Amino acid sequence: MSRDADEQTADTRETAVQRGPNPPAPTDGSDDLGSRSVWHARWALVRRELRSLRSEKTILLAIAIQLFIAAFSSFLVVGLVSMYDPGSVEGYQTEVAITGDDTDALLAAANEQEGLRAITYDDPADAYDDFESGSSHVTAVLDANRDDDGRLVVRTTLPEEGLETTLLVVQLRETLEAVEHDERVANDDRLEATPLEIPPAVEASPYVGFTYTILVPLLLFLPAFISGSIVVDSVIEERERGTLELLRVAPLSFVDVVDAKLVATTALAPIQAVAWLALLAANGTEIGNSAALLVLVTALSLLVVAIGSGVALYAPDRRQAQLLYSIAIVAALVVATLLPEHPANTVAKFAIDNPTETTWLLLALYVLCGALALAVLRRGITALEPESL
Amino acid sequence: MSDDSADRGPTRSVQPPRLVSAASHLAGSATRVGRIARWELTKSAGTIDRKTILLVLAVVAVAGVVGLSVADEGLGLEDEIYVVGVDEDDPYHDVASESEQFRPIALSMVDDDGGDVNADVILTRDGEIYVAGEHGEAAYDAFRDAIDDYNEQRMADEADEAAAYPVLVTVNYQERTLADVADGAATPDGGAADASSDDGAGAETPGQDADSDDGIDTGGDGVTGEQDAVASDGDSSEPLQVPDVGDGAVTEQTTPTSPGALEPPFPFEALVLAFLFIVPMNFVIQAYGSTIMDERIKRRGELLLVSPASSPEIVAGKTLPYLLGLAAVTVVIARAIGGGGQSIAAAVPIALAFLAATFVGAMFARSFKELTFVTVTISVVLTTYTFVPAIFTDVTPIALISPLTLIVMDLQNESAQIGEFLFSTGPFYLGAAVCFLVGIGVYREEDMFSQKPIPAKIVDAITSQIDTISSRVHAYASPFVLSMLAIPFVFAAQLLAVALLFVVPEAIALPVMFVLAAAIEEFAKSVHVYAGYARSRFDASLRVAAVLGVFSGAGFFLAEKFTHAVQLVGLPDLTVGAAAFGPALSSEPLVFLAIFFAPLVLHVVTAVVGSLGASRGRHAYAVAFVIATLVHALYNLGVIALVA
Repeated sequence: MSRDADEQTADTRETAVQRGPNPPAPTDGSDDLGSRSVWHARWALVRRELRSLRSEKTILLAIAIQLFIAAFSSFLVVGLVSMYDPGSVEGYQTEVAITGDDTDALLAAANEQEGLRAITYDDPADAYDDFESGSSHVTAVLDANRDDDGRLVVRTTLPEEGLETTLLVVQLRETLEAVEHDERVANDDRLEATPLEIPPAVEASPYVGFTYTILVPLLLFLPAFISGSIVVDSVIEERERGTLELLRVAPLSFVDVVDAKLVATTALAPIQAVAWLALLAANGTEIGNSAALLVLVTALSLLVVAIGSGVALYAPDRRQAQLLYSIAIVAALVVATLLPEHPANTVAKFAIDNPTETTWLLLALYVLCGALALAVLRRGITALEPESL
Repeated sequence: MSDDSADRGPTRSVQPPRLVSAASHLAGSATRVGRIARWELTKSAGTIDRKTILLVLAVVAVAGVVGLSVADEGLGLEDEIYVVGVDEDDPYHDVASESEQFRPIALSMVDDDGGDVNADVILTRDGEIYVAGEHGEAAYDAFRDAIDDYNEQRMADEADEAAAYPVLVTVNYQERTLADVADGAATPDGGAADASSDDGAGAETPGQDADSDDGIDTGGDGVTGEQDAVASDGDSSEPLQVPDVGDGAVTEQTTPTSPGALEPPFPFEALVLAFLFIVPMNFVIQAYGSTIMDERIKRRGELLLVSPASSPEIVAGKTLPYLLGLAAVTVVIARAIGGGGQSIAAAVPIALAFLAATFVGAMFARSFKELTFVTVTISVVLTTYTFVPAIFTDVTPIALISPLTLIVMDLQNESAQIGEFLFSTGPFYLGAAVCFLVGIGVYREEDMFSQKPIPAKIVDAITSQIDTISSRVHAYASPFVLSMLAIPFVFAAQLLAVALLFVVPEAIALPVMFVLAAAIEEFAKSVHVYAGYARSRFDASLRVAAVLGVFSGAGFFLAEKFTHAVQLVGLPDLTVGAAAFGPALSSEPLVFLAIFFAPLVLHVVTAVVGSLGASRGRHAYAVAFVIATLVHALYNLGVIALVA
């Protein structure tokens, strides 16, 4: 044990030296703080920030989370779509019994329906017997009769057998809707508005809507929110551990210190966004206006990170900072519905390459907001007494 | 719990009669836990800034007002993502302008320079429909749905109901097998649910009269319909629970509806309400993680560590307020949405699992940044892990791996059997207990205040468990017990792997899954042996390594078989559970034994391989781990090939 413990502390000491509070940028022995060395110091701070993310592998975890969320939401959608769209499950065939006094329309529609095969029974009792016993593979009974109003009343009996039944209900719904449509058209003379004809179906991916309206916005917004969260923790941690105090011996103003954090974390979002867009493109999802999307992500990231820094400087401890930050983000997403387009919708329109004038105007608005937030933050920090932290 | 706690406790120094000593020890323990819990409360309450509270309230109020005012319209995520080229006098123009997804432009505005058309679907004057561009087909597909919606809208306004809704449907679900009936599964809920669903759940009479004649709900008032359904679910509880008699009993939906209102049996409403239980947990663990992490910054936890309180007492005291708070919130939510005792009893283990995972995360994290990601990971993983199975509540008993399923069932007025309840909550309690144990193992000075890499801390945490077990029983017992304790995590990890690989093409996913499943099990069987060797707890001789491996493999096998048995008892109507024993149905006793014990041999052999590697250092362990995984994966492949 003791040997191990020694080894352990030795390890620790070594790593601690590597990434401990790092006084940035030696001043080259010169007393005047030329602008070059200030830039050098700022750059050193940016690197310090990024290095701490790398050494903790935080960023890997962040990317893993995003991958997990994206993969899982895709999993859910694929699962639910195949549950509600039996056509997407290939080679699935069920047999249903059709009986009653008016079976023709139903029979025709059922045989049109992909994956369904209809069998007519003259005697309903036979149909129910076959259903009960499970013989001749009948998985549902449709008992179709005309009532006094001339409506077709379909009594369906389905097995209580889980997933299969779910698929069956969806298939039957489509079948019955087709029958309904035909009947309505036949009732034309009694209706004020004739139902519009529905054009024939084509082969189309059922996931396009999801990809552009959920997945792409999710993958573009998450990095921005994560950047904001990182900056909250980063600032609060420096305050609590007292390393912010140490940084003040650097030849930099407090504004510069926060700036460096801001630059480092803001830049993470568009970098991740590029990666996600490339990944989507590699998977065959065509992304339009990617430059506009990147500008949008950068602007949002700047806005969120500025809010995060402000919260972290204002709130007394981490719990309250994180609470304020997360509530602010959720609230912002809700309030954003008041905009003519929700930011997610803006992303979707850019990505699917159907942007409108409003979309472009909103992009300009976000850029403006980002710049404004930065300006407000800098003013606030200048007014702030560093000792009060 | 650990030995140092016993040493530190003052009650050990006095030697009264045994029983009295134990009682006073317990009482002292309880006092200390209570005191720490009180401190935690007052400290938290004391540091919360009044300005912060006001700010939070203001933000929540604004978001609430806005959220409620736009709730009907939704987020508008799909607004105008497709463009339709159609002239204004075209009958289909209204379809495009009424549907949210489409933006109509006049045909004269459509311009196709160089193949790049600025519309996805084009309806020409002569009635032809063209699709253009990358998303043309998808837009066309969506447009068909829009036409459908448009037609439905028109029909809802028609005066002649019989003409507008010429087809009426009733659905009844009938049990065909002899297994007992999960009742109430047939209530269609969700967006298109109509007011009839309250009768639907209630009428469980055998035999049916489908030709009842009342009017159909047009689906236009979906929102009120949902509320009706919930309300009726709440108050018509008792009559539903009459068990079905014999086969052929019927759960039916008597009121005829139009085909469009048909919904698959999907507990949408209950699912959304059940999710409410999870939401507060995600917030509470943020605060809980912070308070644990706070102790580790600037050695603040030192003060409590040197107090007479042992580390389990400190942890219990710090956790108690959060657990009780979550329990209270759970009760409030349950009351608000009409859940009963079953909901509360199912939500508590979930809360405990959230807290336990966060505790371990906060003990291992090196900074707030890391902690944030750990808590977010916990939130995401646990939320999906509990939520996703619950979607399949009415579909398959496997859904019961998540206690949220019990809540969904409760909200649908189904009560779980005791076996189902234990099957569902047991792993969560067990998992939470293991997490707390692991975390408490490193709740000591040398781990709390040092910046060790996470793997080293995990090794430390496991080693402290080995020490505890070794001091209580025997050194060889530790691999046996630790392998067993790993089972809930192994199952959870494998399920997540399956879910994640779902999106990958099958040709890649299957082999990856085989290897991954084997790797997870091999890791669980060998990591504690490696931890023991890395901290010099075991003798590096060949014999000891082999014995450790045998114990580890046997423990894993026993726990796995035990879980299967529990599944069989708890979920008798689950065919998959039976499939685990499938080949064992063979009547030949020898074959039966061979098939039953083949996994034992496998687990022991691979565990011995892993343990031998572990005894030879890190690199040897890595190699042995790979070998064991491959052997395991090949065995699995062989079994699959045999059965198929």
